[in-house]
Amino acid sequence: MPFSAQPPASGERCALSASLDNARHLSSLLRAVHFQDYATCLATASGLRVTVEDAKCIQANAFIQAEIFQEFSVQEESVMFRISLSVLLDCLTIFGSSSLPGASTALRMCYRGYGYPLMLFLEEGGVVTVCKINTQEPEELLDFDFCSTKVVNKIILQSEGLREAFAELDMTSEVLQITMSPDKPYFRLSTFGNAGSAHLDYPRDSDLMEAFHCNQTQTNRYKISLLKPSTKALALSCKVSIRTDAQGFLSLQYMIRNEDGQICFVEYYCCPDEDITEAEL
Amino acid sequence: MKCVIGGAQLRVFGRAIHAIARISDEFWFDPVEKGLALRSVNSSRSAYACVFFSSMFFQHYCWTAVSQPCQKEKQLSLPCKLIIKSVLPVFRCVNVLERNVEKCSISTSPSEHHITFQLLCRHGVVKTYNLTFQECDPLQAVFAKHMCPNILKVHYRLLADVMIHFPTSQEEITLSVTPMKVCFKSYTEEDTALHPHPSLQGLLAFSEATSVPVSIHFDRCGKPIAFSIEDLLLEASFILATLCEAEKEAASPEPACCPRPWDSSKTGMDKSDQPSMDGTSNAATAASKKPQQKGNTPNMDPAKPQSALAKQEVKNIPRGMERDVPGRAGAATAKAVGREATEAPYAKWDQLSQQHSWKTPALLGTLLGAASYLYKYCIFQFHSLFFGAVSYKEKEAIGDTFQSLVTASDTEEDSGALQSSPVL
Repeated sequence: MPFSAQPPASGERCALSASLDNARHLSSLLRAVHFQDYATCLATASGLRVTVEDAKCIQANAFIQAEIFQEFSVQEESVMFRISLSVLLDCLTIFGSSSLPGASTALRMCYRGYGYPLMLFLEEGGVVTVCKINTQEPEELLDFDFCSTKVVNKIILQSEGLREAFAELDMTSEVLQITMSPDKPYFRLSTFGNAGSAHLDYPRDSDLMEAFHCNQTQTNRYKISLLKPSTKALALSCKVSIRTDAQGFLSLQYMIRNEDGQICFVEYYCCPDEDITEAEL
Repeated sequence: MKCVIGGAQLRVFGRAIHAIARISDEFWFDPVEKGLALRSVNSSRSAYACVFFSSMFFQHYCWTAVSQPCQKEKQLSLPCKLIIKSVLPVFRCVNVLERNVEKCSISTSPSEHHITFQLLCRHGVVKTYNLTFQECDPLQAVFAKHMCPNILKVHYRLLADVMIHFPTSQEEITLSVTPMKVCFKSYTEEDTALHPHPSLQGLLAFSEATSVPVSIHFDRCGKPIAFSIEDLLLEASFILATLCEAEKEAASPEPACCPRPWDSSKTGMDKSDQPSMDGTSNAATAASKKPQQKGNTPNMDPAKPQSALAKQEVKNIPRGMERDVPGRAGAATAKAVGREATEAPYAKWDQLSQQHSWKTPALLGTLLGAASYLYKYCIFQFHSLFFGAVSYKEKEAIGDTFQSLVTASDTEEDSGALQSSPVL
């Protein structure tokens, strides 16, 4: 049941105002990028982008396009602020995070502009909660400069094939090594932990492989602690695209279908681990 | 060495690994010509497991003798020790293993220092694990299973149905056996300082995978008890130390419920018994006395046939139960297995058995005879298993209160005085 909002005081316009019948459409995506407390929100006419970064090495973005919302309006060209993602998630799930059929939290979001807090109006079963979350100056975000022309290797896999692998990654290994090649082993995930090494090979003709475009043999290592949070996005997604560029930067794009069947995207970018250059078997 | 485990057998193998994992954090990986043995012993040496897979268990099994160590190239010398935690992930989700994995190949090569487990999975995915190992001395428990006077053969389902009544946190369970019934008992006690027994759940899950009945070989209290599973393709034994009353208690006014266990060290009946010291074990005397269980006074009804699956009861005994009339133990089976009846502690048994004319049915010849042994809860001391892998320097002045059925053994051959069962 759509929530009829309490509009802001007359005469005041919101830089960003949006309403959503089911707050889970937003909260589940935000959880997929929640590996740091703070996130940067960017709202444009096309939708909302929430960015989380760590160690200047990894960046995750959650995209919730305007079509997902019942109402979405941005007064200026773009609106950007920094906010505590932990608090935002706590508020969005204030009525509990279990997904009972029929019971959903309705959301109305309102941001008056620079310096103002983000207002959330949440309603479920006739109970209304109003949250006011302070916003901060947005920080500069990394630009991985990942465009399709610079991509060297690209594969698209069905997520079910990778879920188990990522959940079982040997965390005693410092790195996750990714090998992509037009020849064997085609696509290999490797870890080097206390017990020994483990390799997971996906052949190019596997029925999990939706697309395979590898031009060059590349082996890159990434800090496993940075990539591990992407497991949450993988768990929600149905497909994942894995791309690397000439410098070994990694792009993971997850296609996520929400409860209503709408498509959203989450992406992770990661820098390769500089310390090691040679691959071990 | 290289072997391949096919679909259906993967579940069995995975369950074996999980069962062994309950004993200890590491296990011995020991391929021999006839097959592959996995062994494990816990730190207090009170539990031992061995699962031997014959070469027929595998789709493919190939073993070549290790070359002489004098060669320049560093050779892989087996057996070797692997950390369980590193192998468990390979066999995670045993139940779905069959569905997801077509086959698993395990291989070692002379010059490499790891064992490779390679799983061919669904969708063409290949998982390769190269696990490092530690070289170690051979591990072997010499336990004369066939010398045990009592054998109970139980289908795993029955045993599982019994065990389900005991919480997994239960540290110990008492097994009391009469010709008429088998009793599994437990009680709760707050201030005990006993070593925990490993759960039998792992063994039961393994038995379910193999669908082979579990045979329980046991002797009087204090002697190790062996749970084993045997079929054409594999042989598994889980040997646990049992607890028995101390000498002091046996000297208490009531007649002992079981013969003084310590004296049998002078006997030749358990030929595999040799007094040996295990420097690592302790006399774990419980801080408090425990109530004695209600005795199973032998039923004098000789006409009652022994059923193939002994009837059993599951009881929880509260504290303060009255002391029972200790059983007039029948040692008929002890005689049946060919022990010399003249040995001192057993003389008592014979007398007792003569007092009550058992007419134990001819089923003794089958695997289901049982004598009446009552285990007291009171003060306990440990029998611990002594293994060849552990070297001992000092002999502790414990006298003959410690004895075990196992002795040092660095070789696979039986030494003259020992009567050992086939290498476990």
